[in-house]
Amino acid sequence: MTPTGTGQSISPRSAKRRRRAKGGVATAMAVAILAVIVGVALLAPVLAPYDPYEVDLSAALQPPGSAHLLGTDMQGRDLLSRIMYGTRLTLLTSLTALVSGSVVGALLGLAAVFFPSSDAVIGRLLDILLSFPAILFGLALGASLGPGLLPVTIALSIATVPEVGRIARAAGLTIARQEYMQSGRAIGLGKTTLFFKYLAWNCMPTIFVFLTLRFGFIILLGAGLNFLGLGAAPPAAELGVLAAEGRNVLAFAPHVATYPSLTIFLLVLSLNVLGDVLRDKLDKRLL
Amino acid sequence: MGLDEPWILQFVHYFGQVTSGDLGRSIISNRPVLDELSEALGPTVELVLSALSLAVPLGITLGVIAAIYRGGMLDRAIMALAVAGISLPVFWVAYMLILILGVQWNLLPFTGRLGPIWTLEGLQGLALPALTAAFTLVGPIARISRTAVLETLYAEHVRLARAKGVPEHKVVVKHGLRNALLPIVTLVGLQIGHLLGGTVIIETIYAWPGVGRLVVGAIMNSDYATAQGGLLLMACIFVAVNLIVDLLYSTLDPRLS
Repeated sequence: MTPTGTGQSISPRSAKRRRRAKGGVATAMAVAILAVIVGVALLAPVLAPYDPYEVDLSAALQPPGSAHLLGTDMQGRDLLSRIMYGTRLTLLTSLTALVSGSVVGALLGLAAVFFPSSDAVIGRLLDILLSFPAILFGLALGASLGPGLLPVTIALSIATVPEVGRIARAAGLTIARQEYMQSGRAIGLGKTTLFFKYLAWNCMPTIFVFLTLRFGFIILLGAGLNFLGLGAAPPAAELGVLAAEGRNVLAFAPHVATYPSLTIFLLVLSLNVLGDVLRDKLDKRLL
Repeated sequence: MGLDEPWILQFVHYFGQVTSGDLGRSIISNRPVLDELSEALGPTVELVLSALSLAVPLGITLGVIAAIYRGGMLDRAIMALAVAGISLPVFWVAYMLILILGVQWNLLPFTGRLGPIWTLEGLQGLALPALTAAFTLVGPIARISRTAVLETLYAEHVRLARAKGVPEHKVVVKHGLRNALLPIVTLVGLQIGHLLGGTVIIETIYAWPGVGRLVVGAIMNSDYATAQGGLLLMACIFVAVNLIVDLLYSTLDPRLS
């Protein structure tokens, strides 16, 4: 983008180049960290040195060492293996929620643009969903369905819907004004083609960038709900649950809580850095 | 309890009770839910307000500094810290503060509310939970402040102010920050909602006797009346905060009224 107009500042070229270089390094690191975490999570059954559920009370609470790279927890279970499986579960639930929530949200937001008569209803629906903090849905579902991974996933999914809907609607409004939409209508394309191939397809980049930014938040929210005990039941390995298990031994075995939390942090950090970079490349006004 | 009625009747029934101030009884303590909630509301408000009073000035200051030194080392350092702060799980922040300030240096207690806020014990007990909550807020506030101030700093009226020789600090505060307040206030309002969510975790970790801990405990014990009442209260607080933010707009920007 070239700076135009009087309100824009023109920064020195060297500063710009430096920023781009720094952005490049940060992006590369974020992508690398993400690739490692996702890869390890996918390959957990192959890579994990121990069974994540195997209890060995004689080896309880060992600090990180050669036998157990990241140490063991209160019941002597290998922490590294548990984190590998935990990342798997965390990614699985948050990704399921993100995908399902964003499909519903995007369809709602775009339908509001495509069928103007539905805008008022859908707009109010999204407003209502937006007007409650996401964690309340998690707590409410936990209260009505009981603790479990399913209520947490549903809650995370609901938390994704309104924000994506809002972004999709905003993106759709700009696309709907484009001439090719009118041309498509003029040559007599069907509504399905217009909606999916013209409107939705062109809104994809914006929605995708927003989802990258939102993914980190969803992971944090899910980890928080699991941490509170509303999600996976204790023997299961999930990053939030693992962090919660380290709470009672925090003072003398801090590694039990630290490594799962660190994994969440690195995952969310790299997603946020990546999302920021992508957003700067796309359009700042929409997001 | 009328559990055999159709759910719509149950809802009408419940709604009627709520409007007359009856939220049912807790099956754990056998006390009216309203009493339990009014006891828990104070500590939560205490926590939220003290976290805000720490985080808002700090976040805005950091954001303004980053905006002034845009593109420089300071800007990049502050923004990197802000992204890191946003990416940290709340419970880990609490753990680190407990470990460092509570256990290792033995400076502050982390065993819940020790007294009213105006006593020394009360303040000491509040310190760590409030710091934890504030920590999660500083990052987003700094980021939005930087963006908002940057937008105004390159506006025509700021250029005019500089041209007529207004001192730089006045330019930044009176012409830059003052006009950037609207998005900042919007974000802080939204963050209070997230903070209410965050306090659920913070209150659980620090055994802080607030609404969040009450609700989580109630859910775990299948104490539906308390959980329902607590969630209703949190939703009401959130809606009220949003309303206050909307009303603040016209004060902050007279053009809107």
